[in-house]
Amino acid sequence: MTEMLLTVRGLRKSFGSDESAVPVLAELAFKLPAGGSLALMGRSGSGKSTLLNILCGLERPEAGELILFGQDYRRADWQQLRRERIGVVFQEANLMPTLSLLDNVRLRAALAGQPQSRGQHWLDTLDIGELAQRFPDQVSGGQRQRAALAMVFAMAPALILADEPTGSLDRVTADDVADSLFRLQAETGCGLILATHDPELASRCQRTLDLAHRAVDRDAGPPLP
Amino acid sequence: MTTFTALLSHYRRHPWQGAALALLMLLATTLWTGIHHLTSEARASLGQSERAVEARHQVQRIDGAVLTVEDFVSLRRQGLCLMPWLEVLPEGESRRVIGVDPLAALCFQRQGDVASFDGQPLRGDPFLDIADAAALPARQSQLFLIVAPNTGVLPEAYRITSFSLAPDTGQLGDSFLLNLDALSVLVLLITGLLLRSVYLLSLSQRRDSFALLNRFGVPVRRVRWHLVAELVCLALLTLIPGILLGQLLANGLAGGFASVMEGLFDSRQFATSGNNWLVPTVVMMALLLLVCAADWLIPDKLRKASVFVIRSGLLALLFIVVGTGGVWLAPNLLWLFVSVALGLAGAGLLMPWCLSALSSRMSRASHQPLRRWWWAEFGVLCRRLALPLVALQLALAMVLAVQALVTTFEATFDHWLGQRLSADYYLEVPTGADAEIAAHWLTQNLPATSGARWHRVLRGQGRIGLDSQSRSVDVFALAPVGSLVTEWDLIEQTEQPWQQLAAGHGVMLNEQLAYRQGLAAGDQIQLELAGQSMSVPVLGIYPDYGRPAGEVLMAGDLLPDDFSVAFESFSISPGSVGIETITEALAGIWQQPALTLRDNRSIRDLANRVFDQTFMLTRAMTLLTLALAAVALLLMGWVFLATRLWYFRLLEVWGLERAAIFLRLLTLALAVSLSAAVLALPVGVGLTWVLVQRINPLAFGWSLPMELYPGFWLELLALALVIGVCIALLMRRQLGRPAVRPSVTGTVTGEER
Ligand SMILES: Nc1ncnc2c1ncn2[C@@H]1O[C@H](COP(=O)(O)OP(=O)(O)OP(=O)(O)O)[C@@H](O)[C@H]1O
Ligand SMILES: [Mg+2]
Repeated sequence: MTEMLLTVRGLRKSFGSDESAVPVLAELAFKLPAGGSLALMGRSGSGKSTLLNILCGLERPEAGELILFGQDYRRADWQQLRRERIGVVFQEANLMPTLSLLDNVRLRAALAGQPQSRGQHWLDTLDIGELAQRFPDQVSGGQRQRAALAMVFAMAPALILADEPTGSLDRVTADDVADSLFRLQAETGCGLILATHDPELASRCQRTLDLAHRAVDRDAGPPLP
Repeated sequence: MTTFTALLSHYRRHPWQGAALALLMLLATTLWTGIHHLTSEARASLGQSERAVEARHQVQRIDGAVLTVEDFVSLRRQGLCLMPWLEVLPEGESRRVIGVDPLAALCFQRQGDVASFDGQPLRGDPFLDIADAAALPARQSQLFLIVAPNTGVLPEAYRITSFSLAPDTGQLGDSFLLNLDALSVLVLLITGLLLRSVYLLSLSQRRDSFALLNRFGVPVRRVRWHLVAELVCLALLTLIPGILLGQLLANGLAGGFASVMEGLFDSRQFATSGNNWLVPTVVMMALLLLVCAADWLIPDKLRKASVFVIRSGLLALLFIVVGTGGVWLAPNLLWLFVSVALGLAGAGLLMPWCLSALSSRMSRASHQPLRRWWWAEFGVLCRRLALPLVALQLALAMVLAVQALVTTFEATFDHWLGQRLSADYYLEVPTGADAEIAAHWLTQNLPATSGARWHRVLRGQGRIGLDSQSRSVDVFALAPVGSLVTEWDLIEQTEQPWQQLAAGHGVMLNEQLAYRQGLAAGDQIQLELAGQSMSVPVLGIYPDYGRPAGEVLMAGDLLPDDFSVAFESFSISPGSVGIETITEALAGIWQQPALTLRDNRSIRDLANRVFDQTFMLTRAMTLLTLALAAVALLLMGWVFLATRLWYFRLLEVWGLERAAIFLRLLTLALAVSLSAAVLALPVGVGLTWVLVQRINPLAFGWSLPMELYPGFWLELLALALVIGVCIALLMRRQLGRPAVRPSVTGTVTGEER
């Protein structure tokens, strides 16, 4: 039996106070094996980002089970996990605007306790080695996302959470960035959970979880006529 | 929805920005209008009444006694053309009115004298009919007799002198007003910086909507005109209450101000008419448009070039060098102020440059990535908060300098007062009483063994200088010259000055007189007392911070017998005898039921009250400005850091603890606010030097020692600390909330860096 990176059962989350609470996630269950990849799909507002936030400890679930690296989430040292094992990539603004691309990668590596000297290596691996001294505003959106990936891989993560990592890129660039992501994920053998609206990108993951149909709509009953 | 309302909708979403702009405008207008109101009225008071007496002459008694109605009557009967001029300070008012007699002025007209009061309404601003003036309940009143030129021969006991309202000390009063003007310009500068910083912030937040409007086909020029219209609306909304509040402020301060002008500068304040709203309106409107719309008024090319120069720091250094040189060499107050302004501008330009250079150097030098990030972030903060930071720096420097000046003055003044008031009691000689007998009694009954010390002071008027340039001075004659005065500090002296003075071999002058006449110890002066002229050496110069009037100090023996004594008093330290014994004896001798006895402390209190009023305005202005600058930095720091909230959250995503993030936030906020304070110290010290060593002698006629008060520096640093901590605490509340991802425009244009 393969080792599970992540096991989720009966996860529930809503926002707001008791009466006006808006359920976002309800009775969610899935598993992610080591080295596996999972795409989260669903229309806007279905809770993809919320789920990713829960998985990296930035939000707390209301109920349910969440076992991460064989440990219950309530006992997890989330700071340490985020620092060293879980890499997060957002749609944009993943870099410190005041630091060069290389310094960004080195900062992320240093926080993870990884050698800073590998910073240039990761930029090279992502084909932006010659942009190392540029600042985020001096490179294109696609190059910024590559730099964001370089930062994540520089920390040698066990799990990558990516929230629409190619959401603001054009088709060709998005494919390029996705290529790099999947290639390095395969090489390093880390897990990947990726939220996206793009079916093509989702199809490159081993499994897809459609939140829109699994969670809110089902529990809210049939849609009104 | 028009373009205009679309633009205005920004302030609906960010009401505090509109409110901050309006509040800044309001406060700046209030402060500036208040000061302008006071100084311009003081000037108008002088101007208006001085015009009426331009190039006129007055009659004075040769014996220096005050003129009375009897003098007027007897001179009039001899056919002289005279006009009575009765200055009255009404009960409960701070400024004087002048009673004149239009009928008496008729003979002036016959003699071809143009100015008259015929047809001019006598409403008390400041002129009114002499009958009405005489009927007012008066705190003080004094009669002058103005005489027409070529009026004929005067009787023996009178002479003609020129009549002006504040001949001897007018310049000093003017300088005091100029000082206030300079201070108000500085306040204007600082509030201008603050206005600009808030406005630029709102502009940067609206850049997206401008771009959108542009894409909808609205030309840039049109957007700008709308923005100008928006500024004009803001100005109109805030100017009216600002000016009203300013006049209220001026009225609140008027009493103290008038007493300073009268008490310290002998510049009598007269009632004036007219409201002053045009100048403040124009000035504040111009300030607002200048600081907010300057970017469009200056051509792009020039701006880019000037930005380059400014960034290079060279211009700043140039300003500082030229300003410092100017301060050293300036021949008068105006040039001095221009030089100071240049120096301050240089300091203001230099600070952001210095901090920016420091941050990039430190960032490059640190190998630890998080530390590198911290320095880079510090650099951004300094650049983006440059305007409020410079405003705070200048405000701090100003407060520091004014505080040092006032404290030094207070200490020096107190020391001086201590020497002046070395006798325990002051006893006024009642009118009609014979001081000679009292002095005799004191000589007989206060033996040296009792430790008692006393002297008699005779006050009156004299003149120094030769005929045409002679000027009136106050005469203080002491008898005997004893140990009550011989401990005074002298600024300059000849050998054994007190012995010489006691022997009647010369006189001493106060600093103001010596400064203005260019006299030094050892010089020979021409002194005229009761019509007799004598040549005497100056034995010493003594400091006098209280009055700018010229004073001559001498031994009683030197006075001619027919000298008209205006006022007489005894200064007494009773020693073991006991003051009651003395007062009872003297009351008996003079056959008076009670004597006016004042003790040291009450006089000191009085002097300190006058002192406080002198600086109340200055202190109030500087402290208000400082408060404004502090609040502005607090708000701007908070708002700007809030736009970077996402990046602090990014640190959290990367696994840093909240506490660690807060610590970094705190150190950043503290570093920024403390930099302003630390860099304000050298500027403040420089400004202190300029104030006490350059401006003071030019403006007030006396100089002070240069003193520094590091304790107060610590207070200012603590204030900066509080600002920094407050910014960090405000930010901490926000750290817990979800952060908005920064807009793509910001990321792409590099304005986050
Ligand atoms: N802090 C919050 N407070 C209240 N409601 C929230 C909060 N965060 C998210 N929500 C709500 O939860 C729901 C899920 O939001 P979430 O951001 O997870 O959606 P998403 O699937 O990521 O959408 P998108 O595809 O647009 O990014 C939304 O209806 C959102 O309004
Ligand atoms: Mg989302």
